[in-house]
Amino acid sequence: MEPITRGGTPAQRTTRRRLLAAALTVPLLLGAAACGGDDDASSGGKTELSIFWWGAEKRAELTDQALALYTQKHPDVTFKKTWQGNQGYFDKLATLTAGGNAPDIFQIDDNYISEYAGRGVTLDLTPYTQDGKLDVSKFPESLRKYGEVDGKLAGVAMGENTQGLVYNKTLLEKFKLPEPKTGMSWEEFINWAADVSKKAKLPGTQDASAVYQALWVFLRQNGKDLYAGKQLGFDEADMTKWFTLWKDARAKGATPTPDVIHEGNASDVSKQLIVTGKAGTSWVWTNQMPELKKNTEDELGLMAYPGDSKVQWARASLYFSAFRGSKHKDTAVDVINFLANDPEAAKILGTDRGLPPNTDIRKQIAATVTDPNMKQTIAVQDELGKQFGPNPPTVPPQGHSKVRSELVRVAEEVVYGRQTPEQAAAAYVAAAKAAIGAS
Amino acid sequence: MTASTLTRDPAAPAAHRPGRRVRRRRENLAGYVFLSPWLLGLLGITAVPMLISLYLSFTDYSPLISLSDASWVGFDNYRRMFTADQSYWHAVTVTITFALVAVPLKLAAALGVALLLNRTMRGISVFRGLFYLPSLLGGSVALAIVWVSMFNREGAFNSFLALFGIEGLPWVNDPDWALYTLILLAVWQFGAPMVIFLAGLKQVPVELYEAASVDGASAWRKFAHITLPMLSPVIFFNLVLETINGFQGFTSAFVLSNGTGGPVDSTLMYTLNLYIKGFVELDMGYASAMAWVFLLVIGAITVLLFSTGRFWVHYSDNEER
Repeated sequence: MEPITRGGTPAQRTTRRRLLAAALTVPLLLGAAACGGDDDASSGGKTELSIFWWGAEKRAELTDQALALYTQKHPDVTFKKTWQGNQGYFDKLATLTAGGNAPDIFQIDDNYISEYAGRGVTLDLTPYTQDGKLDVSKFPESLRKYGEVDGKLAGVAMGENTQGLVYNKTLLEKFKLPEPKTGMSWEEFINWAADVSKKAKLPGTQDASAVYQALWVFLRQNGKDLYAGKQLGFDEADMTKWFTLWKDARAKGATPTPDVIHEGNASDVSKQLIVTGKAGTSWVWTNQMPELKKNTEDELGLMAYPGDSKVQWARASLYFSAFRGSKHKDTAVDVINFLANDPEAAKILGTDRGLPPNTDIRKQIAATVTDPNMKQTIAVQDELGKQFGPNPPTVPPQGHSKVRSELVRVAEEVVYGRQTPEQAAAAYVAAAKAAIGAS
Repeated sequence: MTASTLTRDPAAPAAHRPGRRVRRRRENLAGYVFLSPWLLGLLGITAVPMLISLYLSFTDYSPLISLSDASWVGFDNYRRMFTADQSYWHAVTVTITFALVAVPLKLAAALGVALLLNRTMRGISVFRGLFYLPSLLGGSVALAIVWVSMFNREGAFNSFLALFGIEGLPWVNDPDWALYTLILLAVWQFGAPMVIFLAGLKQVPVELYEAASVDGASAWRKFAHITLPMLSPVIFFNLVLETINGFQGFTSAFVLSNGTGGPVDSTLMYTLNLYIKGFVELDMGYASAMAWVFLLVIGAITVLLFSTGRFWVHYSDNEER
């Protein structure tokens, strides 16, 4: 048939086709434009860096102020700040990364740093430390090393913490009970907790069988470790010992009932039994003290985990990492350097993310800090820090978060009486091996 | 289209036909342009991502690497799912338990309340509104949080039991009971099927009941021999819809367990497990494979339901006359 009879004049047809094409492409273009907005951020000498962290409102306030200080000193750099609570943070970060839109700077912890570094998401910061753009020379060596994945610096520690056992001082005073002391053996501690349960009618301690950092300390005290490189550092016998220790503690009445133990196994600070008033002690990290204190009226005490506290180590509570695909890598590194090393910025940030990583600054902060809970954190951490032994653990391998969640699941099987310590030990070793892809 | 043109205007001269076609084409084009937002949505948000996920299910893709870096692993993900992953089968069991218990109970509750509300009485629309209210709240997070606080050891439900001297359990924190609190939550939200049942009940001709009354039929016989058969297409519709919904339960399980499926995996629903694999463990290839198996299984169950339908679903227009 004739084209003319089919579709009007050629001119008409092209107009219509164009219209159709336009109708189809306009939304696509709009979508593309929305995604590509970052490219133009640097035009006109201005740089906008995206930065993403998790935390509470206090942290957001402090970080805002510290970043504002950076902008004050570098007026051409501004920030697109995003923050949220802990839950869902890593989902969001993974989704952003999948879309190629990872923030220029993001907060990360030892759960995921190997995951992100191993897959090349984080910028290798080692060259920046060599040409002086990033100064980690004032960091304790163990803390700096705790940010290295496969020999490359993947994250700059923004705070230092270590295991801390927090106990309810008010409760102990009320019932004239002795305070627990750093250096107590596990047996002594559990007996103490059983005694508290009896006299104060409140479970003496949260059951730590599902608390990975407690297991980790326990393993190190027994000459083992959670990891040996990219393999597990423990075996079924160790796990049987661990699960049995807590089974006995439950039998002695040192811990709450299974459902309460389960509640306390949530990672949320506000759900720790010490602040919900359901146990006399909780297993936390030293830098969580101010946040814990905010959730309770009672006086809190802080000590190391039971057993030999020399096996504890200076852990990076969290890091800032830069995105390898960032368009402003140098600026991003400079901001991280500023947050870690600038005395004024550090003064603003305080110990919210943990003890400042830069030891010079740490001394200044310790001298000026007024918050009694921060003071307590610093005092305990300093005291423990002096005794930290050699061979601190290196950063956990890929699959660490799964190793943790599996511990909660398997330990609770024993807590609820569904498995014996031996069965659970076998199940856990198998699950943890699978999680880190070890043989 | 050509056929309809022919039948409508068989006498039209041949030369005129192209002109009509042109008009039709124009109309079609306009139609497509107006449809384009939806079409783009279908393609961009549903069809293309689905195809990509089908591809991903054969790779070891993680959200942290680019698509092009994902390596092809063949059927490894599927093999692992069916042979090596214990948590997978556990989640399947949890989900089937949930659907098998929640769906019949929910439909029974919906039908029961619909029967009660299908009468003329002052203020009946207020009651209808009140009973529908819970499902307006949908699968909301807030509701799940309320549920958790109602059913823990110190919750309102146990306070209620205490009035009768019964000491309750920590329902949501007890691995034997946690799933049943989720089932109860699902059943409680029976509003949507109830409204559909109510509409169905209004369609049943009153004469049938009148005739049955004349014959001396009891209320039960009227229900069993008139209401149920006349309502069967609606029951079928609700059954299919609620079964699909039941298998996809996620929000309440996520909230109750803080996203872990606990206590000890007792609320590890299929979709929650899928989420954990994909977004927590970053094993998106495996999660994609899980999603596709899920789609196929739900499809198969739906087909199965349809094939049983001809034995018990009565469409009045086929049977009468």
